[in-house]
Amino acid sequence: MPARPHPAVAPAIPPWTWLRLEAVTKVFRDTRGGEYTAARDISIAIDRGDFYCLLGPSGCGKTTLLNLIAGFEQVTAGAIAFAGEGRGKPWRRTIQGPGVERAMIFQDVGEALFPWLNVEENILFGPRMAGVRREDCLAKLDRYLRMVGLREDAHKFPFELSGGMKQRVQIARALIMEPEVLLMDEPFAALDAITKRLLQQELSRIWQETRRTIVYITHDLIEALLLGTRVAVMTAGPAATIKCEFRVDLPRPRSATAPDFVELTRRLETLLHEEVSAARKAMAEAR
Amino acid sequence: MRAEPPTPVARQPAPRAIRDERAGRILRQIAMAAIALCGLLVLWHFSVGNVFNPALVPTPGATFAKAWTMMKSGELFMHVGVSLKRVLVGYVIGCASGIAIGAIIGRFWLARELADPVLELIRPISPVAMVPLAMLWFGIGEMSKYFIIVYATLIIVLLNTAAGVSRTPVTRIRAARCLGAVEHQVFLKVILPSAVPYILTGMRVALGFSFMGIVAAELIGAREGIGFLIMNSQLLLQTDQLFVGLLTLGVVGLIVDRIFRILLARSMRRYMQFHYEV
Repeated sequence: MPARPHPAVAPAIPPWTWLRLEAVTKVFRDTRGGEYTAARDISIAIDRGDFYCLLGPSGCGKTTLLNLIAGFEQVTAGAIAFAGEGRGKPWRRTIQGPGVERAMIFQDVGEALFPWLNVEENILFGPRMAGVRREDCLAKLDRYLRMVGLREDAHKFPFELSGGMKQRVQIARALIMEPEVLLMDEPFAALDAITKRLLQQELSRIWQETRRTIVYITHDLIEALLLGTRVAVMTAGPAATIKCEFRVDLPRPRSATAPDFVELTRRLETLLHEEVSAARKAMAEAR
Repeated sequence: MRAEPPTPVARQPAPRAIRDERAGRILRQIAMAAIALCGLLVLWHFSVGNVFNPALVPTPGATFAKAWTMMKSGELFMHVGVSLKRVLVGYVIGCASGIAIGAIIGRFWLARELADPVLELIRPISPVAMVPLAMLWFGIGEMSKYFIIVYATLIIVLLNTAAGVSRTPVTRIRAARCLGAVEHQVFLKVILPSAVPYILTGMRVALGFSFMGIVAAELIGAREGIGFLIMNSQLLLQTDQLFVGLLTLGVVGLIVDRIFRILLARSMRRYMQFHYEV
């Protein structure tokens, strides 16, 4: 009986140009038949190699959007697709379910890591599922352990690591799959300010080194500007949409105190101000 | 009864001061245990004849003398051996089937919703209550004893396994899917390992239950075993032998529980990532 190809070794998708959200709407139904529109008619085209930041207030449906891209949940309307122009012939492939070409970095790293596996075993989980032997990916393992600065801690278990180190493990575990897209859901939100800054700098460096496409969710304007090549601002939920989208062309490494950075921040703060008042109004109504 | 695994506590490295402190604590525990047991013996010794009728409560001396003769003749070990075999066979079957059924119930909501009312109904029925039924179904042979032990073990292991399996964090399952794990890999490599702390907690409680069950199983229709020894002593009015039986049960139960803990601490350590005191 011919073995069904394992999803992790399934042929990679052809070189793509965009990861597109095409008029995506997501409606949740609760058990009593009530409906909640988390996202309405969202269209985005993420270029290959982008560091794409989705910026929005808490509860605006950012995570929902990421779960849709990851394939954990199904769109209610619209589609999510990789698209490209292979040899002049445009093509498009819709996303159905999770796939190894899209790696998720979860905010709750305590739950995302496998606590019974040590750092090395956690990172090798993906290759192991695909039937790759440890000996055959030692070089890669070493490369990514080095990249996230965990070479000395390869045999520690997650409970022996700090929050920041755990998040590094998660990043290495995703990178070893060499995914097309890294999906990051507020990965540093639970860390202390200093660790957060450090990891942001390192992520910026990793992105420059690997040129993986990253879709990064955050509620922190400064973080979005420090990391992103593009930033999309979402409106406050329910029925969140994209309010505006802009490019950040500041050179790396970026500093939050550089004059042009401060200038950009000031311009965006005014923009966000409207969303803040909208959120305040929504909160008042909810009460 | 659904025992929760303990909350995570970070494991500390063990520098000298901590090691010394730990040794001190263990020494103190041993000393306390010795004091408590000696106190009990003294109390027991002086109350016989003063408070209790010696025909109903033998002195500690008489009890240990009886135990010594029974050990010398090998009678006591024979009873212990027979009971241990029954416990072991029933316990292994009970745990294995409990884990298997529990995993299915925990994984599939349909199985869970169908099984829940049945389990709620069965839970209050103690192993003792099943003795007459066991005899009707399996006669007075070994099968009826195994049945009682399996019954005592199965439900608690099943409930814990189901709880552990159904409480696997969604995030962890999603992470595995992202890393290319297919359905059976998610189950075997993520969900079952996540449930191990729950399963082991259930297994340890079940071990105690099966020692409670063994007496029930041997009360009727047995010719050897600790339960038989206790029952028979009552019929023959041999209170010293009866006390030997009770003490043996306590000691054997304690030893088996300790062995279980040591084995677990060695083999299951990586699943107990919060320095789990089993």
